[in-house]
Amino acid sequence: MDVSQYILLSVLVLFAGIVGLAFISSDKRAILSISIVIINAVITSIPSIMALTGNPQSDNLLLPHFPGGTIDIHIDGLSAWFILIINFTSVNGALFGSGYLKSYQNLRTNLGFHWVFYILFHISMVWVCVFDHGIMFLISWELMSLSSLMLVIFEYQNKNVIKAGINYMLQMHLSVVFLTIGFIWLFTETGSFNLSSLAQVASSKHSLWIFILFFIGFAIKAGFIPFHTWLPHAHPAAPSHVSGVMSGVIVKLGIFGIIRIISYLNHSWFIIGEILLSLSVLTALYGIINAAVKNDFKQSLAFCTIENIGIIGIGLGLGLIGIGAQKETLIILGFSGALIHILNHSLYKSLLFFSAGSVYQQTHTRNIEKLGGLMKSMPVTSIFFLIGAFAIGGLPPFNGFISEYLIYSGIFNGLFTIKGISNVILLVLSLVGLVMVGGISILAFTKLFGVIFLGHPRSELHEQPKEVTFIMQLPQYLIIVAMLSIAIFPQFFFSNSITIVESVFSTHISNSALQMASTTNNMTTIGQISLYFMALVVLIFTMRYYVLKKRTQSFSETWGCGYVAPIPHAQYTGRSYARSFADLFGIIIRERKVFDKISKTQLYPGHRKFSTYYFDLLEKYLVTPLVKQLSFPLNYFQFIQNGRIQSYVIYGLFFILIVFLGTALSLIK
Amino acid sequence: MVSFLLIILASFVFIGVVVRTKSIASGRKGPGVMQPMKDIIRLWRKGAVYSKTSSFIFQMAPTIYLASILLAIAMIPHGKLPGIISFDGDFVMFAYILAFGKFWMIISALDTGSSFEGMGASREALYSMLVEPAFFIIMGSFALFTGYTSFYDIFSTLNYGPYISYLIGLLATFVLVLIAMIENSRMPVDDPKTHLELTMIHEVMILDNSGFDLGNIFYATSLKFSMYGALIANLFLGAVPLPISIPSFFIIQFVFAVAVGILESFMARFRMSHNPQFIFILTSVSLLIFFGVLLVLGKFI
Repeated sequence: MDVSQYILLSVLVLFAGIVGLAFISSDKRAILSISIVIINAVITSIPSIMALTGNPQSDNLLLPHFPGGTIDIHIDGLSAWFILIINFTSVNGALFGSGYLKSYQNLRTNLGFHWVFYILFHISMVWVCVFDHGIMFLISWELMSLSSLMLVIFEYQNKNVIKAGINYMLQMHLSVVFLTIGFIWLFTETGSFNLSSLAQVASSKHSLWIFILFFIGFAIKAGFIPFHTWLPHAHPAAPSHVSGVMSGVIVKLGIFGIIRIISYLNHSWFIIGEILLSLSVLTALYGIINAAVKNDFKQSLAFCTIENIGIIGIGLGLGLIGIGAQKETLIILGFSGALIHILNHSLYKSLLFFSAGSVYQQTHTRNIEKLGGLMKSMPVTSIFFLIGAFAIGGLPPFNGFISEYLIYSGIFNGLFTIKGISNVILLVLSLVGLVMVGGISILAFTKLFGVIFLGHPRSELHEQPKEVTFIMQLPQYLIIVAMLSIAIFPQFFFSNSITIVESVFSTHISNSALQMASTTNNMTTIGQISLYFMALVVLIFTMRYYVLKKRTQSFSETWGCGYVAPIPHAQYTGRSYARSFADLFGIIIRERKVFDKISKTQLYPGHRKFSTYYFDLLEKYLVTPLVKQLSFPLNYFQFIQNGRIQSYVIYGLFFILIVFLGTALSLIK
Repeated sequence: MVSFLLIILASFVFIGVVVRTKSIASGRKGPGVMQPMKDIIRLWRKGAVYSKTSSFIFQMAPTIYLASILLAIAMIPHGKLPGIISFDGDFVMFAYILAFGKFWMIISALDTGSSFEGMGASREALYSMLVEPAFFIIMGSFALFTGYTSFYDIFSTLNYGPYISYLIGLLATFVLVLIAMIENSRMPVDDPKTHLELTMIHEVMILDNSGFDLGNIFYATSLKFSMYGALIANLFLGAVPLPISIPSFFIIQFVFAVAVGILESFMARFRMSHNPQFIFILTSVSLLIFFGVLLVLGKFI
């Protein structure tokens, strides 16, 4: 079968699924959707695996009336890598979602729509990776954005959810605007709608502007600062399986686009690499600093996604610098570090969002200050979250370390090989940034884990939380197995990523096998050390078990330093845990206090509220003022949108007339 | 392997030497150098009391903490002998595996639900985050200086280098000593001598640990000190034969322990709010080392 047939098949399955969902009884919808997602995942994985094993799948559909005539379908190693990640995460998301949405059984129509959009969401993400043709690419991109919007606003009765949804929709369309302008510009330059025709314009003098347009379009999706502001709103609003998939995959498609356009670039790699590296370090730091102080656990995870995008960007920046300086080892270390980090992040971030979703389903709150002690009632979920927290901190023996190690190696390789004092200083500052990001993420995740799962419950919940159902645990087990396989056999994933980097940047790499042999050996060593470390822990723990078995072990109250009546409220809270950190980074973490002042005449102050929260500096001082400035002149055009059907009909007629006259007078060809 | 055994040996008496130095400095007779180790062995023979609030995390954490430090020690070379584990970029894993152990200690402190231990945990997380850049810049500078990225290659080539490398080594020693002090929550940032509740960082985190686990934690502290001592020794030990390098290793460990004791005797603890500034100084000193390396390599153009 040709690759185009696989894609057409996926379209057929999609429509069959949508029709099926309309007619099936509401309690079987989840099962049907899971099977549709799995079928589509299998269909699209087959050509991807073939592409990954060294046979890029390329084909085109002839559509005579379509602009450009043919639609190029192309699955190379890079698309395959992303398609496999999308498929794995989406299948897990569907499994988790079927359990998670059990508590929303009464919202039957919502659920029906939700599943329709879920299968559309999954397959549209795959299509984005497949189409080279600009219009089809934009259509898939738009389908992806809109279907994910519909998934985000599942609880549309809630005002905050709608607000977050509109915010998301607007920002995604801003991204589409940039991409569309980019494609139109490309068409006027080359007469082709294909993204790959970027290679033809790359040497012309204004090519940099086209690249910048595409870059901004993709960066909004990826969440680089200052385009990150949709993430901390959309992720908490969405149901957890959707946030898991969105954070695990959808932001990565922005990265996918960036890697694609980078591969067509044929000059000024060095300067673009430096800019991308600096931007990424700032993104990573900004994301994790905010993640450490947020008390809404899903918001904290969303900021953490921004951090990881930054780390991926560091890898890409290093790779670009490598191209600029013609250092092949650096190219491979940078880009393969980024690719493996993309894979790693999609795994542990969906794991974290799923386990956070389990907590939300049982407790109905996202505020960590109301939680605590869930380790007792939800032990399995706690361990899932803990493993995710280790992995996201890049701690060995888990998979996060593998990609961070590659990126560190990239930085050191850059330090050795790149000349010029300014570059050396940039690389050292990136090193410091990356190290601090690692340290802060430990602070952030000890806080999240400690406050949510450990200690005493901090408030009375409506219902006693209990462990979630097996169908919700299953995808998390699958993810952990995948994570451990990366941690223990990193050399396998590394060699695959090398092949991809080689094929994408084939003009810059002559012979990789020779140079990367030592790094591959190191990968093997790291995998073995991870295994040994686990063995060492088990050994010491068994020793401890046998030593302690014969002795008296008793349980008693926590030592309260002589105070015998401790209450749960006296526990360290999430806010107090991050307080000294927040004070130290006060330049970025701004705090707002909300309270009513006591007036002088008020003799007997009654009840009053006092609350503090940290806000997003860039959103408040950069994005919001800009939007306000922009919306001021737009007010003058408000008369167009007046809410009267009649005028809208006139607009339609007017538009048809223009098209008609344009064709008649041959102004439009 | 040699280095692993030497560090284990040094760890038995390290804290003893520190305590002895402190007692001499304050005019007391003081216990023998083996006393802290005897205390640890006494703890290892005991049972345990756990908090009712705590879960399995609390019981596993000291084990993993100890294991992480043992694995880190296995990476440290000795003279011309590499450590048990040695590969390019092993110091990245060294730092991250230590962080893994620390992660467990922090969550085990939060596991007890005590406000004191939460406070200690918060500070431990903050200070270890602040101290990490200094270590990485030092190792990065040495990597740049020698052109290698594993402990063994860095240290073995460092000592074949010009004499200026010893000057850089001296600055690095200063930073490493202070890193050791901060990582173990000793004097300038925290005072382990005070009554447990008044100690602000590490000791307050382990308030609830008892018996075997407490012994593990105390022993891990000794190991950590001798681990940093071994790193410092490696800065100066060339590829000399073992009969010379082993005695000099112990001499350097001894001097380090005495220095720690003197520091603790004659320095007051900083105010908690001044600690971050102090720790940032380490990062700036390590940046000085980095610029020194650039200067030596002639990369300032």
